[in-house]
Amino acid sequence: MTAEAKNQHEGLPGDFAIWIFILAEMLAFGVLFVAYAFARAHDVALFNASQETLNRTSGAINTLVLITSSYFVARGVDAIKRDLSRDCAWWLGATWLLGAVFIAIKSAEFHEKFSAGITLSTNSFYMFYLALTFFHFMHVLMGMIILAVVIVKARRGGYGSRDHAGVETAASFWHMVDLLWIILFPLIYVIR
Amino acid sequence: MNANFPTLIWLALVALTLTTYAIGASDMTGSGAMLTVLFIALVKGQMVANYFMGLRHVAPGWRLLILGWFLIVGGLIALAYKLT
Repeated sequence: MTAEAKNQHEGLPGDFAIWIFILAEMLAFGVLFVAYAFARAHDVALFNASQETLNRTSGAINTLVLITSSYFVARGVDAIKRDLSRDCAWWLGATWLLGAVFIAIKSAEFHEKFSAGITLSTNSFYMFYLALTFFHFMHVLMGMIILAVVIVKARRGGYGSRDHAGVETAASFWHMVDLLWIILFPLIYVIR
Repeated sequence: MNANFPTLIWLALVALTLTTYAIGASDMTGSGAMLTVLFIALVKGQMVANYFMGLRHVAPGWRLLILGWFLIVGGLIALAYKLT
């Protein structure tokens, strides 16, 4: 992105379109988070009892995984701004691997619940839990696809200090996935 | 960007996450625990948005939008909690 185009978009990192997408996603998740909280208010005992069946440790580990991945992707952006293509690809690769760790841990949690016969229709807590975390899970997968494309290009030296909007776009999407989980974890796993 | 600064932010985020986890693992319940974990989420969100996403270099409206999202969503979650 040229300096002129950046000014037009108030200096936002990456492609402006991703910011419209980020805001739309945050709005959608925000509505669902609030809907969860009000649904819980109608049946606190059911929500608290169902929450007890979740693996809070897995949720916390996944929080640490996403936060660390956000740090890695920020280091990747910093590297490309200094023309360090290989370092950038390395940090983004490490981010991608942490995304895979998140997917593995969350899949194990889903498997445990499905094995226990729990579905979307078991009760309203599980409906929200499964829908919200699966929706978020799909965003992690989407972020990994975007990262993979950017990693391939970065390895080929396709970005540099003057042209790294692609890296920033992927990074901004990835940070959004982290921001959503920052609310999701306390809301669903901790608050009772 | 000084490499040490984002590392400090990351360490603070880890510490805040462990605090939330400890509150969840303890028997702490009620409004105090709820408001504490929501406030921690707000602080973590600001750290990620301003320092990792780089919004501190952007027009203030965008920072306010993210802050506003955390305040409104967190505020409504707290309100719903108080209704019980």
